[in-house]
Amino acid sequence: MIQLENVTFTYNGSEEKGNLKNISLSIRQGEVILLCGESGCGKTTLTRLINGLIPWYYEGELNGIVKVDGKEIREQPLHILSRKIGSVFQNPRSQFFNVDTTSEIAFSCENQGLPEDEIRERIHQTVSLFQIENLIDRNIFHLSGGEKQKIACASVSAGEPEIFVLDEPSSNLDVAAIEDLKHIISCWKSAGKTVIIAEHRLYYLMELADRIIYMQNGEIRREWTTADFLGLSQREVENLGLRPASLKQIYELHIEKSSGSGFYQLKQMDFAYKGEQQSLHIPAVNFTKGTAIAVIGKNGAGKSTFLRCLCGLEKRCSGEVQDNGKSYSLRKWAKNCYLVMQDVNHQLFTESVFDEIVLGADNTDTNKVEQVMERLDLISFRERHPMSLSGGQKQRVAIAGAIFSDKKMLLLDEPTSGLDFRHMEQVAELMQQLKQQGKTLLIVTHDPEFILKTCDNIIRIEDGTIAEQYSLDTAEMGKLLDFFHLY
Amino acid sequence: MSAGLISGNENTVRFTLDPRTKLALVATVCTIMTSGRVGGIMTVIHPVLALVPFALLFLSGRVKDAASYLLAYAAAYSMISFVMPVTSGMISILIGATAGIIYRMMPSLITGYFVVSTTKVSEFNAAMERMHISGKITIPMSVMFRFFPTIKEESAAIKDAMHMRGINSLRNPMEMLEYRMVPLLMSVVKIGEELSISALTRGLSGDTKRTNICKIGFHLSDLLCFLLCIACWICFVLHVGGMI
Repeated sequence: MIQLENVTFTYNGSEEKGNLKNISLSIRQGEVILLCGESGCGKTTLTRLINGLIPWYYEGELNGIVKVDGKEIREQPLHILSRKIGSVFQNPRSQFFNVDTTSEIAFSCENQGLPEDEIRERIHQTVSLFQIENLIDRNIFHLSGGEKQKIACASVSAGEPEIFVLDEPSSNLDVAAIEDLKHIISCWKSAGKTVIIAEHRLYYLMELADRIIYMQNGEIRREWTTADFLGLSQREVENLGLRPASLKQIYELHIEKSSGSGFYQLKQMDFAYKGEQQSLHIPAVNFTKGTAIAVIGKNGAGKSTFLRCLCGLEKRCSGEVQDNGKSYSLRKWAKNCYLVMQDVNHQLFTESVFDEIVLGADNTDTNKVEQVMERLDLISFRERHPMSLSGGQKQRVAIAGAIFSDKKMLLLDEPTSGLDFRHMEQVAELMQQLKQQGKTLLIVTHDPEFILKTCDNIIRIEDGTIAEQYSLDTAEMGKLLDFFHLY
Repeated sequence: MSAGLISGNENTVRFTLDPRTKLALVATVCTIMTSGRVGGIMTVIHPVLALVPFALLFLSGRVKDAASYLLAYAAAYSMISFVMPVTSGMISILIGATAGIIYRMMPSLITGYFVVSTTKVSEFNAAMERMHISGKITIPMSVMFRFFPTIKEESAAIKDAMHMRGINSLRNPMEMLEYRMVPLLMSVVKIGEELSISALTRGLSGDTKRTNICKIGFHLSDLLCFLLCIACWICFVLHVGGMI
């Protein structure tokens, strides 16, 4: 179905990242292939070669033979290739062309110029196959990330291509949505389609993948059958820079926790969105100082609203916080909180890292800025434009701003979404460091590995209130594993 | 109005118009209401056209929006007709300016709002295709429609981030604008690129003939709207020509 022979590709005017060297690979019809490796290893580039974005969209120097369906891709323009290959990408927010779901599912069929009745029939089939009847005729802007990703898959699937190419499709999804994605891929597999997936999260694909291909520095380094891959020890997997292959391995990751001392007490938090049923009601909860608290729960349970209320973004939220016997209204307390957003690009405004850190502060004590930069490993980027940094560095700049202005609580929304093992570990180390500085961390996350590496306490939110709270020790571990279906 | 600009059609609307009819209505209301012709037959045409957005909103079930529009318009109308003649000087000018803007611009704005908020992207594409307008024009336009809600989402997130850094004051408007625009442009450009990649890999291209599953077409309501538009245009042209 797909043949690559001695393929070398260099992006125009790029640094080393993502270029390919000497790739030879042949994929048969009906195979499910998992491409893995650290960020920048070239797995995304390889997917772009297969779906024709290289050479038709991304420019660069391409050598070697790339054949899809027996024909050179250089001879098949994108709209021809698109009938054979369907692509799903990482970011659910930027993959839809229409605003309503039904038109979106019809989109690739319409582009093929299929007759109207056939398109309707295909929409009907796809919808019942994926069990997404509840998503029909909805505004895509009102869907969750997981639901958007399902619509993206459905849209591609309705075009009935023979090959599916997925580039980190689970990056922004929670556990339940990943299960649904797994179901969709298994539908494709049983229909005899060829599926190629580049991914960081490996565990959900272990029952589906036929071959696992490991890439490093633009080359294919190793190849396993799934059974062989599952036979690797945890240390071997980590040394390759990969996320664990089985959730059982995650259980082993647990490291030393900090106990903290004293706590902030939040009382009577109440909030409801205008004209909506969904609300937040939290009678009382304690946050132990100097610890990391994971905020978990299903999509739509109210986790993000909880963070927004704490840092004062929802002005109509009432409540109070007690610290050292003093009581603060939620509005006053918000000055001690800082939210690091999932898309950190939204919170970088200035032209240099230095300016970014002192932004909004009344005094710009250079020594203190340098201390903060030192601690967060940013000193060498002092004059760089924040937008020119890598994702992890941007995140550190945002956190540096919060530390410089002496915020006591840092709230983080999905700090590890889409990160590979090494980068996730870096964030985990940073969290440890912040705890040692006495910061209290509230982390909304769907990443069980990350929780086990950094968090001391768990708060589970359900239906806008706290369903349970426990500290993450061996006795309570079962609850967390249960939540993530890790047994 | 919080639902975002472009229709995702969540609550199925009973009253529908063809996108082409909507365009005709917008063109009629905008041109005639803002043309500055007064007197004669125009004293009838203006209120009639001003009722168009009210009727559209009302019939599509947005009774509340329709009522607030009608109130605002009636207030502006009575200001101009009854209050302005008995005042003079600065006050008269002020009233004339504010009420005049509402009186002249509101109908066009609301009609425009109605059109973008009730037309699906694919309906718009289908209508353009029926009018034999090339994909090279309609595709960029439909992407633009698709972007209004995106810009709104991104902009809200950036506003939140600024609020947290305590830089939402009006002390330095130029700087505020820069802080607001730079991240917005960055993310909109990125989303735009990802969007076009996704559309290309699903076979969108200017060369192939697309089909469309939207049911667009003319019904009785479209006919009535067109008759109204034609009648208004005839009166307008005759009035310009000085015949009535």
